[in-house]
Amino acid sequence: MFYINLLKKVIPSTTSSLRLIYFINLIPFGLLVYAFSISDFTLLNVVENSYINDPIFYKVTSAWGSHEGSILLWVFLINLFGVLFLYKNQTVEIHKNILFISTLFILYVIVSSNPFTYVEANENVLGLGLNPILQHFLFVIHPPTLFLGYIGLIIPFVISAHMLVNKNFSEKLFKEMLIWSKFSWFFLTGGIVLGSYWAYSELGWGGWWFWDPVENISLIPWLLNTALIHSLQVSIKSNQLKLWSLNLGLYCFIASVFGTFLVRSNLIVSVHSFATDPLRGLFLIIIIAYLLVMTVRLNIKSISNFNEDSFNLVSRESFLLLNNIFFICSALVVFIGTVYPLFSEMILKTSVSVGAPYYNFAFNLLLAPLILFMAFAPQINWEKHEKKDKQIPFIIIFSLFICLVSYYFLNNFYFALSVFITIPLFLKSILVLKNNFKKNISFYSQWLAHLSIGFFIIAAVYTEQFDYEENLLFEKESTNEVKLQNNKTAIIKNIKDEKFQNFQRISVDLLIYDGHKERELSPSKNIYQPSGQVTNEVSTTNKLFSQYYATISTIESNKVGINLVYKPFINLLWLSAIMLVFSIFLSVVKKR
Amino acid sequence: MSKAIYKIIISLLFVHISAVSFANVNELSDYYKTVRCLVCEGQSIQESDTEFAINLKEQIQKKYNSGISIEEINQELIKIYGEEISFNPPKYHILLWGTPLIVLLIIFIFIRNKIRFFNRV
Amino acid sequence: MKKHLLLPVVGLIVLVVSVIFYFNQSTNINNSRDEVSSLIFVTPDFYNNKLINENTLGEFYIVNFFASWCKPCLLEHPLLMEMKKKGVKIIGINFRDDEENFKEWINEHGNPFEYILKDDGTIAYEMGLIGVPETFFIVNKIIQKKIQGPLFYEDVESYL
Repeated sequence: MFYINLLKKVIPSTTSSLRLIYFINLIPFGLLVYAFSISDFTLLNVVENSYINDPIFYKVTSAWGSHEGSILLWVFLINLFGVLFLYKNQTVEIHKNILFISTLFILYVIVSSNPFTYVEANENVLGLGLNPILQHFLFVIHPPTLFLGYIGLIIPFVISAHMLVNKNFSEKLFKEMLIWSKFSWFFLTGGIVLGSYWAYSELGWGGWWFWDPVENISLIPWLLNTALIHSLQVSIKSNQLKLWSLNLGLYCFIASVFGTFLVRSNLIVSVHSFATDPLRGLFLIIIIAYLLVMTVRLNIKSISNFNEDSFNLVSRESFLLLNNIFFICSALVVFIGTVYPLFSEMILKTSVSVGAPYYNFAFNLLLAPLILFMAFAPQINWEKHEKKDKQIPFIIIFSLFICLVSYYFLNNFYFALSVFITIPLFLKSILVLKNNFKKNISFYSQWLAHLSIGFFIIAAVYTEQFDYEENLLFEKESTNEVKLQNNKTAIIKNIKDEKFQNFQRISVDLLIYDGHKERELSPSKNIYQPSGQVTNEVSTTNKLFSQYYATISTIESNKVGINLVYKPFINLLWLSAIMLVFSIFLSVVKKR
Repeated sequence: MSKAIYKIIISLLFVHISAVSFANVNELSDYYKTVRCLVCEGQSIQESDTEFAINLKEQIQKKYNSGISIEEINQELIKIYGEEISFNPPKYHILLWGTPLIVLLIIFIFIRNKIRFFNRV
Repeated sequence: MKKHLLLPVVGLIVLVVSVIFYFNQSTNINNSRDEVSSLIFVTPDFYNNKLINENTLGEFYIVNFFASWCKPCLLEHPLLMEMKKKGVKIIGINFRDDEENFKEWINEHGNPFEYILKDDGTIAYEMGLIGVPETFFIVNKIIQKKIQGPLFYEDVESYL
């Protein structure tokens, strides 16, 4: 089947034949999904990743639970976007590039990770089952969402490549590029948020961001794409930074392929990783190396024309350029942090772990000035800004004051810093709203996005700095009541043992009494068939923006250990993330 | 005007860099978050319920209660388990820790050059 | 012009100084521990309450961490018994265990150890233990090899 595709690609293409090829490339993934849905145990991949008694929903979604399936999904999406893009733009050269990249991945599927490996059909095979950690609604939609984001970047990539090669900088193409990068940004942000919410609610570790390599490599394209969206505004509105945007567009997609490479080749250990296979790694290295060489060639070609941009220091353009540099630098920092353990192990022969302390340090340095700029930059005019903003010194002094007050009361450096950088943003947002009440949607989308970043930072820093954790130990018969901090009590009501279709659940009903209100929690442990794997199910209860978060740490015949975490403002964090996703949705919808 | 902005930016950045660089971990629970659970891929001992993590937490708690500073505990931990134990790599990994600073420096130089350029014009 | 340069230059100096100072906070440490924790020789034996005399151990001995709740420990148990028969001196360290369970475990499976110490985790910490079972091969008072997880015959072959 794949070989037919390859043959087709040699044939000179017209719009209809292009469409045909795209549709043919969509078929394999469809077949795989079908095989999973009917539990066709003649396929090795189905045997390994699906279980006959799983609900149908999980059966279908097991299709991309494995490495092979996810790469096939990758191919599927490339071609899906190709078809969609075909309705907007029929330039054959651009589509040839898309098909070329898709062929590379199809080759990869054939050579090193073919999901259609046959095995002898056997009546007794029931399947090994989807990893139970992955049996969660959020996880089912999380990888496809993230993939939509990653692969959405292929369109800006091919458009940039096309424009750089042909030196044809038409505004129409820039606009298409912007729409697609916004589209991809929507899914990337959505995917990252979903993944993070999944980790928070399913892993039961009590955190929402672990600076895990997989999270990091999804962050790199996100940061670059954010930069791209901003610089494309400049390219469209004031005809500047064109080469800059195009070169950036190339790297966004490379970053997302590189991300997949790092995860799939298992070079870096992480929670999400699949089995190691050196051939896969090698093949992906070749793909990346090829794309990278092409990109660098285009970079070198265009570098001599880089200096033709010129604009005023105090203008929207220069601030957007500054924003770009900040974002690209942040992406670079994340990249260094992610690959450094690898580098250190190979060259320095010591293994190190790079985690939160490093990223906190780096992001504090980089993001703080960025967000401070973010408060004022959107009000600066294009090209030349004449008017002096008399509010700036006032706002800075005011936020410095609030910052010192918060430091005095809460005695926490990070929170005070976050207050200092976000107060100008909040103030400015309110002030601006008064002047521009009836502006268009794009104003609101940008306004909302920036505001939600502000909320996000405040909420994230507050949660991280002021959460507290308690380990409660109950002994059956003797103690079923434990005193907590701040005059609260926790009482165990009863312990249940239930059986479900493919798992067994042991849950503990817990009551927290904080003076005037009782809150119920029922954390549980699920034991899955057939693997016997145990997962921790989290139970939460809300208190406005804050949350109690309980997991079972130990459960034995005579004692029960509960891990109770109080997470202040965690819901504000999720709310701001939803606002962020919604804001870009607004601007995409507006374009239609 | 632009010179004034530049000066303000620079001084703010310096305050910022030094503040961030010297902010230290003071609380034990924050420290736990920087200690890697070596048997559980990517988790810190704060989050993990494995015997390894529980024991390490107890031992650190004991040391801390007997008056040993977190910095000293960390040094000892690295001596025993290797650098891998800490999510906070030692500072002599200059390539790692220097990158954010260098990157910031580049941003800085960029702003400065822009200002010079426009002053001349 | 000179005034214009002053601030960046001062800034750069401050930056360099603070960076150097920052990087000098912690010095290079060698990260492998090759000596046995001295705690082993000050903790009394579980059964006869005597201290281990380092001199009577000879130039080669083994330190093995185990626990009754640890299933992989049973895998290596027959091997340890065999090694005891061949005269290898093994110090067993019972890691974070219930006393009753542990006694029962020894009675049920046999005792391959020359000495048994009960540990609340402190010795384990000092020896850099990652999990049970874990075995240290000590030659001339220096840790020559460390096996994490159950022992297999190949691991001990050369010492027998």
